[in-house]
Amino acid sequence: MVHKRTIQRSRGDRIFDVVNTLLMLGIIVVVVFPVLNVIAISFSNAEHVARADVTIFPKGFNVQAYSYILRDPQVWRGYLNSIGYCVGFTVCNLLFTSLFAYPLTHNDFLGKKFCTIFLTITMFFGGGMIPTYLLMRSLHLIDNPLVLIIPGCVGAYNVFVFRTFFNNIPSELSESAKMDGANDFTILFRIVLPLSKALLATFGLFAIVGMWNNWFSALLYLDDTNKYPVQMILRQYLYVLDTVNLQQRAGMGGGYINPTLLQQISPKGVRMAMVVVTMFPIMMIYPFFQKYFVKGVMIGAVKG
Amino acid sequence: MKQNVAVQGTPKRSLKTRAWRQRYLFLMVLPGFLIVLVFSYFPMYGILIAFENYSVNKGILGSEWVGFKHFMDFFTNPMAFRVVKNTLILGVYNLLWSFPIPIVLAVFFNEIKNQKFKKLVQTVSYFPYFLSTVIVAGMLLSFCSREGLFNQIRALAGLEPILFLQDPGSFRTLFIGSGIWQGAGYGTILYLAAISNIDPSLYDVASIDGASRFQKIRHITLPALRPTITIMLIMAVGGILGSDFQKIMLLYTPQTYPVADVIGTYTYREGIAGARFEYTTAIGLFNSLISFVLLAIANLISRKASDTSLW
Repeated sequence: MVHKRTIQRSRGDRIFDVVNTLLMLGIIVVVVFPVLNVIAISFSNAEHVARADVTIFPKGFNVQAYSYILRDPQVWRGYLNSIGYCVGFTVCNLLFTSLFAYPLTHNDFLGKKFCTIFLTITMFFGGGMIPTYLLMRSLHLIDNPLVLIIPGCVGAYNVFVFRTFFNNIPSELSESAKMDGANDFTILFRIVLPLSKALLATFGLFAIVGMWNNWFSALLYLDDTNKYPVQMILRQYLYVLDTVNLQQRAGMGGGYINPTLLQQISPKGVRMAMVVVTMFPIMMIYPFFQKYFVKGVMIGAVKG
Repeated sequence: MKQNVAVQGTPKRSLKTRAWRQRYLFLMVLPGFLIVLVFSYFPMYGILIAFENYSVNKGILGSEWVGFKHFMDFFTNPMAFRVVKNTLILGVYNLLWSFPIPIVLAVFFNEIKNQKFKKLVQTVSYFPYFLSTVIVAGMLLSFCSREGLFNQIRALAGLEPILFLQDPGSFRTLFIGSGIWQGAGYGTILYLAAISNIDPSLYDVASIDGASRFQKIRHITLPALRPTITIMLIMAVGGILGSDFQKIMLLYTPQTYPVADVIGTYTYREGIAGARFEYTTAIGLFNSLISFVLLAIANLISRKASDTSLW
């Protein structure tokens, strides 16, 4: 009797495992297939793209779409702009968040309660898109690169996560430093932050990815295309590019591409190449990042 | 005598002295405080223009007050019905589909026995979350075109191609589906964290008692997830009106406006492009108020029913 039950259970178990494994393989296919399709299209020639027979392997392999993109000065400018925005934003984000969070770990800090309430309110209420836009306008921040960097760089949630993390650092070190006459800045930068590398790496990567993917602030606050981040350039490629202006731009002396090679590329191939170029940095840092972000989400979750 | 010593040991310093001793701490808080004050609180103050005929020269307090005129303008505008309806429908669909899927996925992830395979599936499924909305829109644009992936699949089934982005009947599915593609994997992280806190011996004891996999899921895993699910559900209810209008802005076309135009997209068009600042601020305020009320109601119901709540 007991014997029979064990066998039955393990058979049910096995069926479950097979179904579950198939389900998981299905998920992998659903996630990976579209990405591979985009990459394959970007390397295929126009004829195959039009005939719609490209799946996950390029057909009529060529790199003309990339050669077109990489000769477009706008793409380079957008790329460099995005790198600049990411660096600026990440530095400001980590610096100002740490500075804000550290005093809140002192129970006798006079501003502690006020600052906590001050921050908590912003988690529930906000001005919304239009009042924020009007504020940026009245501060003359339209078309100022700082508009992408400063306004979003201190968030209540981040400050609270940083505070919790700092609280868990043993206080003996900072107390003995205090005895030796170190001031709070020295303690934060020489003792607390060096012990918070995991936290800084996690939130630094979140900041980089967040800013790299940001396009809506640029749409709202930047009119000058020379200041556009790469996502906005991608948006232009997606919505403005068609066969006619592809040929016009190619013919425009700027020498984007040799007109005879133009037959090999299609607007769609160029668009997908631009998608790949834009997502390339994310794909590159993802393997390092995925080690950290689970931890990052957990740190936040514990605090709630 | 003893009391005196104690008092001398911890002399009660005046507020001024204490504040001066903490001057560095105040200095540290200052930049972040100013940033939050300017970029979070000033816009809240700016909401006042929803009740006035705002003129830049006269300022927010100097402009003429008009009461609820802009709200009435919105409610009597036939567009209001369309955008509120679309926002609600997309929000409810999102709650019905995008909310439960990560829970189911997390349970199934947890049932994978091979740790390496589990790690692989997780790593792959989290990835789309880190792609930008523009990239996802670009992929959809490609897949939805006449010769795109979706029509290739339709062709396999012998169906006529559809121009999905021009088809009002496909819009909601595309919107919700791409949201799930992007967010479902990442959404499992919180649930997996809750599952990892379950005492493994519970499963062992259940196995000895002859419980099947489904019984263990039903009686051990899901009850352990309940508080997390409740909190996420409360927040999801509060977010029903907060549809991802940035993605819609990249995906909608004049043909799909009747189903795709939501409060956010309408606000952007009228407010930024049309410069109707007071009117759209009023719409934004109306939207936030309803969202907050929904959040509060969900929170109240949950606190009464299950003792789990946000506050």
